[in-house]
Amino acid sequence: MGEIIVVTSGKGGVGKTTTSANIGTGLAAAGHKVVLVDTDIGLRNLDVVMGLENRIVYDLVDVTSGNCRLKQALIKDKRFENLFLLPAAQTKDKSAVSPEQMRTLATELKEEFDYAIIDCPAGIEQGFRNAIAGADRAIVVCTPEVSAVRDADRIIGLLEAAELRNPKLIINRIRPEMVKRGDMMDISDILDILAIELIGVVPEDESIVISTNRGEPAVMDQASKAGEAYRRITRRIKGEEVTLMNLDVPLGIFDKLKKLVGIR
Amino acid sequence: MTRTEHVALKGTRDGLVLYLDPVADFGLLMNELDKLLKDSVQFLQGANVRCYAGTKEYAEDEHVMLVTVLRQHHLEFSGWLTTEEVYVPGKVQAYTEDKETRLREEGMVEGSCLFVERTLRSGKSVQFEGHVVVLGDVNPGAEIIATGNIVVLGSLRGVAHAGATGERRASVSAYHLAPTQLRIADLVTRAPDEEASGRGPEIARIKDDQLIVEMSGMNSRRGKDR
Repeated sequence: MGEIIVVTSGKGGVGKTTTSANIGTGLAAAGHKVVLVDTDIGLRNLDVVMGLENRIVYDLVDVTSGNCRLKQALIKDKRFENLFLLPAAQTKDKSAVSPEQMRTLATELKEEFDYAIIDCPAGIEQGFRNAIAGADRAIVVCTPEVSAVRDADRIIGLLEAAELRNPKLIINRIRPEMVKRGDMMDISDILDILAIELIGVVPEDESIVISTNRGEPAVMDQASKAGEAYRRITRRIKGEEVTLMNLDVPLGIFDKLKKLVGIR
Repeated sequence: MTRTEHVALKGTRDGLVLYLDPVADFGLLMNELDKLLKDSVQFLQGANVRCYAGTKEYAEDEHVMLVTVLRQHHLEFSGWLTTEEVYVPGKVQAYTEDKETRLREEGMVEGSCLFVERTLRSGKSVQFEGHVVVLGDVNPGAEIIATGNIVVLGSLRGVAHAGATGERRASVSAYHLAPTQLRIADLVTRAPDEEASGRGPEIARIKDDQLIVEMSGMNSRRGKDR
């Protein structure tokens, strides 16, 4: 019996889709049978990030409305035999699916897969309610910005109201050097307000932009810092105890010189 | 409390009160009263009884009759009560003015209270007629509106409105008081732009038409009044 994990945030642009793609790919790389479900109907992205856009024939709405069987709509990933994508419809809107239908779909997915990662749209309306309907666990993605933390707080409240207890937090796009200067919220500031369990911290990384455009999740890139963070998150989702990544910025040669001379 | 269908006898802090059903037939009332007192007379001998029958006024002879029935059972009639003076089920009892002032002087306030045993997150609104106590945090984007006082055993970062119906003696206190906006009765303030951290518990109340925040503890109210 598989597990349905919804990736949500409230605010847009904090990295839900990137996170979904990387966690899904990471779990598949570890040998699990995984399906990624894009519930952002009308604004689908997950297919692009996975580089599978040109293989879409049927979509989520086709499945829930009975136009096709689940198997027909699932797209097999380029890299992994055991990774699949259920894309969102682009020509419909969020009201094309109901929470009831999502629950039915979730039961079906659980029989077939070890993990189903649901990529939730931004906002707290129908799209959000659909995405969380069949979920067993929730991951909240948040960037170190006041607005993102505020929205994440709201989302956590709504998840609790929907009986999705103990959501886990991913802090995304953190810039250690800015935190060090005191120009960015640090991890403890965020945890102070949200008060939920932290499952990972992902540093801001240019390689994410590159991998997103190429359609190849960064989790497979051994050189990428963000990729390393996602690999650790993947292992934590499987229940392993993994330490947080060391995000300390190494001192540059100039800093070392200054330290030697004694200027602060 | 002993009662029949139309008559009830109740002991209160201020003595015995006899409730008579205002719409019942007077003869019936007297019969029931007689029966009621026969059963309980031993306990009550010699006591004073005040009577209440809503806004109904009885005729002179009916009144005499009532006093006589009470006497037969060794009870002394000692006057009528008005609606304000008795507790009527379904209606909140009006506190007498002097009791409230007396409590205030002792540094006490009473009233109904809502306990919130969780953290209030953004988007959550709690409104209550009375006092509100939160065992948790109040995050930015959440609000509490109370007609009485607000106490937060955690961080108050959202919006709090105490004394919402105009009670200027209301207060807001928190272990960490850093609200987005603070309102007491008709006064509104917002947090200073620069937040001082680690100040400990604080309490906000109105003094001389100004909303002020002070340390909660020995050097606040008690220190100044005594």
